Amino acid sequence: MDERFTAERFQLTPEKMAVGLEVLRKRMNRQLKASLEVCVRCGLCAESCHYYVSNPKPEHVPAFRAEQLRKIYRRLEDPLGKSAPGWIAAADLDQEMVEMLLLTAYGSCTMCGRCVINCPMGVDTRLIMRTARAMLTAMDMTPEGLKATVNVHLETGNNMGVTTEDFVETVEWMEEELQAELDDPSVKIPLDKKGARVVYTLNPREVKYFPYLLQAAAKIFNAAGENWTLSTESWDATNYALFNGDDAAAKKLAQNLERAVNHLRADVLVMAECGHGYRSQRWEGENWVGHGYPFRVMSFVELQAQYIYEKRFELDPTVNSQRVTFHDPCNQARNGGIVDEPRYVLRHVCTDFVEMTPHGVENYCCGGGGGMLSMTDFAKERMAAAKAKADQIAATGAKIVATSCHNCLDQLDEIKRHYKLDVKIQNLSELTSAAIVWKKQ
Amino acid sequence: MDWIVTTRWIAAAGLVLGLIGILMRLGDIMNRPFKKDLSRERGRAGRGILYAFTLGMAPWEKESTRLHWFLYIRGILFHVGIFTAFGVLFASPWIDQFHQALKVVLVLVTGAGALAGFAGIAIRLHGANERALSIPDDYFSVFVCSLFITGAFVSLLAPAALPFFYLVTAFMGAYIPLSKIRHCVYFFYSKFFFGAHFGHRGVIGQSRSKYAE
Repeated sequence: MDERFTAERFQLTPEKMAVGLEVLRKRMNRQLKASLEVCVRCGLCAESCHYYVSNPKPEHVPAFRAEQLRKIYRRLEDPLGKSAPGWIAAADLDQEMVEMLLLTAYGSCTMCGRCVINCPMGVDTRLIMRTARAMLTAMDMTPEGLKATVNVHLETGNNMGVTTEDFVETVEWMEEELQAELDDPSVKIPLDKKGARVVYTLNPREVKYFPYLLQAAAKIFNAAGENWTLSTESWDATNYALFNGDDAAAKKLAQNLERAVNHLRADVLVMAECGHGYRSQRWEGENWVGHGYPFRVMSFVELQAQYIYEKRFELDPTVNSQRVTFHDPCNQARNGGIVDEPRYVLRHVCTDFVEMTPHGVENYCCGGGGGMLSMTDFAKERMAAAKAKADQIAATGAKIVATSCHNCLDQLDEIKRHYKLDVKIQNLSELTSAAIVWKKQ
Repeated sequence: MDWIVTTRWIAAAGLVLGLIGILMRLGDIMNRPFKKDLSRERGRAGRGILYAFTLGMAPWEKESTRLHWFLYIRGILFHVGIFTAFGVLFASPWIDQFHQALKVVLVLVTGAGALAGFAGIAIRLHGANERALSIPDDYFSVFVCSLFITGAFVSLLAPAALPFFYLVTAFMGAYIPLSKIRHCVYFFYSKFFFGAHFGHRGVIGQSRSKYAE
């Protein structure tokens, strides 16, 4: 028994088993069934996983992970799985299998989707892993850190429990700071402005630890002359229920933002530079809530590219003269198609941009995805798997690693320290903001 | 009724059983809900699907197939061998009348396919990852399919071997719905979903964006 799962809630009971299997049955749509059936166990997906690249062993092959849920599926649904389980490796959902699912679905997979893109058969291992996570969540077996993050978000409206008072104070403080920095009192960070075109969201980390990122975003919006606002009703861009597979919770969190945007009658919801937050609201949210939003959802990265394309402000790229490379967040590039936009931005805001190899859709996950940063139980494996990313960064010779995701930002910062890389980790908007030639409004 | 005709009927029975099993499998998946994507499209799903079934299958398009091009080509040879063996099977009543040049081509394709099939078993036994992933049915299914291609190969060289080919066909046909060989049905679903999903999100198969360099 893995010592990380000795707590009582990780012990399988007949009731929990029934709940877990019911989740599997309920989620068995055509997409999931096709992915469970079609794998031929060729193993070609091995090198697509950063866990495998960093530590090549069979347990790190994506097909091996997916195979754990397939065993249960075959036991449940395959005629041979019932009559000759050994022949097709069908297995019951027992305590040993629970532990295996915890270690594979939560402990060594960030659901980055790189194996999906690389599978010759089109297997969606990311979907299989999320289903396994959903089963474990329904059985109250989500690793503690992730469980707490979702619960805090549901209870307080944001995943760090920031009060509205603190939020407003931080926003006002950043507005004053920005006005002082630019020596321009006309600069504003509007709150609850009805009829604004854009509602901007934040990652609670920005409010709590990195408020200068809000300052950078505000400078970009003001320079672009955007009609924008923040909402005190709901402003958290994150949705960690994407990671624990709890669609009911994910729906509630997505609805929070939907309501806030509707109340402000905005046209566009702009997601902060938060990979999974963007994916949650842009791609999954409407499926969770069951209808299309009456507004558009876009990433702040897309908006920055649009502003630059439309020449909404003047830029001086020489202020960012050190070599910059870009880490594509999986949930924006591979899972959201945002590949050209950050590069377009970087070509305009810095003088020496180099690509990692591979990059874009085929970029390696940094290891911080899938809610990994909240699950400290798996921190050691997470850092070991980050070697692939560390090697990629080192090979570029870059001094700055830009990215557009808070989880990536945190993980890259840990990678930098763990692998002793002489680099600075920055959000894309920091570089854009620095390059703006400010003109008093 | 001679032995060839008898075994031909047995093969037909096996294939009918297989077809019934496949139809049941198809019925099963079609009875499951289809998860429609409600999000606004960024790219065109249709282009993603087209890509998934065409260029997306080229050996150079994915990192996995670039790295393992030899294994991928082996797999392609194996599958071309299977499809060709089916062609030989359905034309087998006229096998004596095949043009010599066609026969040579078919012998080469089925020979290579059979070799690629048996090599697949060796690769599964040899590679640590493949061994860890493989289940008994994987070995057996590849073996049965390889035997099926071998049956076509041998029958082309010596039509007296047709009863062997037909008996293998009968067994394989009946076994398809129960084994991993049924991936031939689900393949079309998974590739369709893959193409639609990533095409809709503008990840694959789309034209260049205005921001591209």
